[in-house]
Amino acid sequence: MTTNHGPTNHGPTNHGPTNHGPTNHGPTNHDPQLLGAYVLGVLDEREVRAVEDHLASCARCRAELAELRVMEDAMGDVPAEALLDGPPEGGDLLLQRTLRQVRSERAGQVRRRQVGIGLVAAAVVAVVLGGGFAVGRGTAPDVSAVQTSTPPAPPAGTMLGSATDPETGARMTVQVKPAAGWVRVNASVAGIAQNEKCKLFVVAKDGSRQEAGSWLVSATGEQDGTNLDGSALIAPGDVAAIEVRNFEGEQIVTVPV
Amino acid sequence: MAALWSRKREAAADEALIRSLYEEHGRALLAYATRLTGDRAAAEDVVQETLVRAWRHPDALVNGKGSVRGWLLTVARNIVTDRIRAKAARPQEVAETPTTPPVQRDHADSVVDSMVVLEAMDRLSSDHRDVLMEIYFRGRSVTEAAEALGVPPGTVKSRSHYALRALRETFVGQQVALKGVAG
Repeated sequence: MTTNHGPTNHGPTNHGPTNHGPTNHGPTNHDPQLLGAYVLGVLDEREVRAVEDHLASCARCRAELAELRVMEDAMGDVPAEALLDGPPEGGDLLLQRTLRQVRSERAGQVRRRQVGIGLVAAAVVAVVLGGGFAVGRGTAPDVSAVQTSTPPAPPAGTMLGSATDPETGARMTVQVKPAAGWVRVNASVAGIAQNEKCKLFVVAKDGSRQEAGSWLVSATGEQDGTNLDGSALIAPGDVAAIEVRNFEGEQIVTVPV
Repeated sequence: MAALWSRKREAAADEALIRSLYEEHGRALLAYATRLTGDRAAAEDVVQETLVRAWRHPDALVNGKGSVRGWLLTVARNIVTDRIRAKAARPQEVAETPTTPPVQRDHADSVVDSMVVLEAMDRLSSDHRDVLMEIYFRGRSVTEAAEALGVPPGTVKSRSHYALRALRETFVGQQVALKGVAG
């Protein structure tokens, strides 16, 4: 394999009788090994002709050729520089500059990490304070708005509403998210006495209503409110209000959206 | 104390990473960036930025040498393209010497392909890789390649065929897996 250095040796001519006529369906030389060199454009004229004659009559070689062409194309996307190895010529000033930048960025990262820890600590304090705040509000006699957790940016088309019923004193904040022809509802309801059996309704513009869920108000529910998720088959565009009623059908609170 | 120690170790690792990338790929990167920018100083900035990005994304560097280089070249190209776009408001400023073709064929696909090809080439046997290097990338004839490689011309022809085939096998396997990496 590694012998034969003869530079003048002009390749193997073991092709048997050369074929001339391009329309010839006779036995051309089936030698797929030449297709690679053919695609790479390094065959001599005579060989090219032989390969092309053969291709005209051999579907298998044509398929093979198509695959190799894809590969040759892909190699064309490789920039010639990609095949150079080693460091750039001419000193390592560039290396030193790069190292300096990385060192200073690393130092910055360490600082940021320390700041990050500080932020986490601050957040913990805020949660503790916030909890106290919520409890304080919950036990206060006159609460006009329930502090529910702020939802993350709602999706487009989401409807929000909040209301307090002047008669019952019940309060509700709702979020109505459109689905495909129906809606998802999230409601935070507070100010309803313990043991009340409640139903959540979605009210349509034509006055019809669909139940979206039901629950029993607990002790904590009375004090801190109840958060509910429901859904109803009313088109997002047709929703007029969200409503809570007891099982006797008496209205407790309504939030128009 | 432990924190200080680990910080020192991190710094040493940073340095080793940058150094090894520079030693192995620096030449290819700088030559490529120089051709794209037509300006050695600008090219050095691009290479610096490329290496720093590699350091920030060590997860991109886990594959064989081929794809690391492909990744680095892709990043370098993106940096050059971004800078040219940034200057596009003042088109006169994009200096192009006659020998510097503008950045052309900015298809993400072709960039990904070239990464995959590099990776695939890296996996070829050295016989196969050498014959493709000679014939395709150095533009040598069969006779010249045969001389350079010390094999008969017939072997150059058949080897270049099997090399292309092997490249294609790896390429097809890798192509799907690597799409999206170039980001």
